[in-house]
Amino acid sequence: MAESNAAEWFVMGVDLGSTTAKAVIVNSAGDMVSSRVVQMGAVSREGVRVAMEAVLAEAQLRPEDIVRTISTGYGRRLVPGADKMFTEITCHARGAAALSPGVRLVIDIGGQDSKAIAVDDEGLVDRFALNDRCASGTGRFFDVLSRALEVDLPEVAQLALDGSTDLEVSSMCATFAETEVISLLAQGADKADISASVHRAVAGRTLGLIAQVGKASPVVMTGGVAKNPALIKFLSEALRQPIEVLDDPQIAGALGAALIARDEHLGTLSKAIADVDTERQLVAAQSAGAPHCADCDGHLDTHEHRPVSVILQLNHLVGAGLRPEGQ
Amino acid sequence: MTLDLSLSTKQSLDLSPTRTRTLEVVDKSNRLKSTSLGGKMVAEYWDNIFTAKERGKHVVWYNGTALNPIFQAAGLEWCHGEAFSARLAAMHLEGPAQQAGEEYGYIAELCSYARTHLGCAVMTQKGITEKQSGIVGMVDQDQLASKLPSPDFFVNAYAGCSTGQQWDAMTYRVFGKDFPIFNVSLPMIWGNKKDSGYLRGTEWEKTPLYVEEQLKKLIEFIEYQTKKPFDWDALSENMSYIKRASELRLEAMALCAAAPTPATYWDWVASIAPINFLPANQLLVDYFQAVKDEIQQRIVNNISAVQNERYRVYFDGIMNWNKLGFLTRKFAEFDVAVVAGRYTHDSFWQEPQLIDLDRPLLGMAQHYLICPINHGLKIMEELLLKRCDEYAIDGIAFHSTRTCRAMTNPQHILARTAERDRGIKSFSFEGDVADAAFYKDESLESGLVAMLESIDQQRAKV
Repeated sequence: MAESNAAEWFVMGVDLGSTTAKAVIVNSAGDMVSSRVVQMGAVSREGVRVAMEAVLAEAQLRPEDIVRTISTGYGRRLVPGADKMFTEITCHARGAAALSPGVRLVIDIGGQDSKAIAVDDEGLVDRFALNDRCASGTGRFFDVLSRALEVDLPEVAQLALDGSTDLEVSSMCATFAETEVISLLAQGADKADISASVHRAVAGRTLGLIAQVGKASPVVMTGGVAKNPALIKFLSEALRQPIEVLDDPQIAGALGAALIARDEHLGTLSKAIADVDTERQLVAAQSAGAPHCADCDGHLDTHEHRPVSVILQLNHLVGAGLRPEGQ
Repeated sequence: MTLDLSLSTKQSLDLSPTRTRTLEVVDKSNRLKSTSLGGKMVAEYWDNIFTAKERGKHVVWYNGTALNPIFQAAGLEWCHGEAFSARLAAMHLEGPAQQAGEEYGYIAELCSYARTHLGCAVMTQKGITEKQSGIVGMVDQDQLASKLPSPDFFVNAYAGCSTGQQWDAMTYRVFGKDFPIFNVSLPMIWGNKKDSGYLRGTEWEKTPLYVEEQLKKLIEFIEYQTKKPFDWDALSENMSYIKRASELRLEAMALCAAAPTPATYWDWVASIAPINFLPANQLLVDYFQAVKDEIQQRIVNNISAVQNERYRVYFDGIMNWNKLGFLTRKFAEFDVAVVAGRYTHDSFWQEPQLIDLDRPLLGMAQHYLICPINHGLKIMEELLLKRCDEYAIDGIAFHSTRTCRAMTNPQHILARTAERDRGIKSFSFEGDVADAAFYKDESLESGLVAMLESIDQQRAKV
């Protein structure tokens, strides 16, 4: 729970992905005060609402305590109240770098897509590669496998760890893989070998993405698929280096979004003060006989056309418990 | 920020679909007006082709490089396969031809230019009355795709693409091998010798001579087919127009080094058809003079091609013809001015100083060899960095042209080169030259926005 005081403020990062909604609240010091992952199905508005409510409740905060919200993920345009959007690429890099300082390569495999992100020494994106249009190598791939093998998702990973023979499953597409799996089952192949082979194929596919941005170390894996120990094993073997898995790999994107919101708010605070000063100077200029605004007859102190950004920034200042001098 | 997250107040959450940004997009692009003249010229050109047989003209079908000045001098009517495929795709009328190609047996992974044009060949030969697709509206669309007159002969002169040669060989077979075919061999400019480079080195000095000899043989072939002596004076005259048009085009392109840019890559895409296959004449020169004049006037009036230009991007890959208008607006939506590209800036008579009116075939041979898919990697890297420097490029959009591997295969290496040598960010997106099915908007937008975010962060660090 966050203990609020006059000087402390909070920001939120929301990652609305293809299968889960994630929300994180970070305080003005940059510490994560609450996080939540909600499994709700494809780009669910209800999911994002539940996640945002839950993360606020956990932090014992009200919506108005949040000074800035940044959204990310496939559904980033649907996040209510978001001040700005960033791609998952930027947010996962930032989140992973915060959770694992010094990281140089982030592998994010989510429900819908896969990414390899080379990260610089400041946690910023250097290069990135996205999977192409199909769901090959993504969380969806494992859903398909689970359905074809008629086992639960966690069991798929366990089966893969028990498999030994490489059946050379195609890595091209989830639909083809399902067809291949059914064909292998019909031939009497062992489920464990099938699962291991599919995992190996996904690892190979991911290795191709990594090759596009260049191998680097240390490596961190984020996204829901990072919770699959078999894939970590096969990918680590293919990459020939260890892969760090975050405690809660799914929140990396939301955390990154929240940290970017914090950065921006820190920047916005000083800019807002500067803008307020500018506005005060405009009022002063107005009183001194500077040209009037034709639309409002020069009533700049109650200016209806005041730039929206300044109004928002002022609101943020009030929300943050700060008041520019003289306000 | 005020969030009302109670279930009963959905309105305050602003969850309405209209909240999505893509539905509220304002077109921030400002295309040149003069290029519409080019569109009119292109339409007239094709209308003219469609009546060639009625006028008793010989028709040649060809692909690849710009042999049209030779055909023009020989009094032929010429049909460029990619050009017609691109025209169909730009008009969203490629479907019937591609379906005809598929019915004939050509798979969807084949170059979509080739697939479309082969479909046209099938339709041209079968005639529209034999098509009974049952698809509403298909007949109207069929009419354009099947309008091409049958060829009297084929000429193939494809640089850097093995599919190109196979494509004409297939077309030759579609027409029952009834019409002769002539192949011009255009060797790869590997550029891997010590003295090699763009337009320099022994490889560069020798190879065009070999091609020039073949062009002489091509002219003998044309004389044999037309039973008329070739008009060498007409060829020189044609090349004089090409040379002048090309000079004007390059001068106009150079003006776009200005920031904000007065014209974009999309304007240059719209100007490809005129420089690539329209008749060489004063109209062509006038067209590029008009384009240059408009750009100059824009600079004087401080008019930019993209409202609020914040990023200058290079486009690598052949144009996605189905998406010309869409991509123009799409990039502008994100304050991106796409100012130059491999396809527009390193193709189509881009070295007019090589054209010698007393020895036109040599200059033509040289141009055919510098097709942007006919270079080794070393030269491609040299050209990419040169363009990035000339136009102060911030980022590169790599159009991973799905059925054109010749254009696509070095893109990852080029991306690394740009990042390593200039710190230029890039992204890749899938699409195709003449098949809309390969384009996925989410893929483009994710990559584009992520690249812009990287550029912003990079700028913030400075």
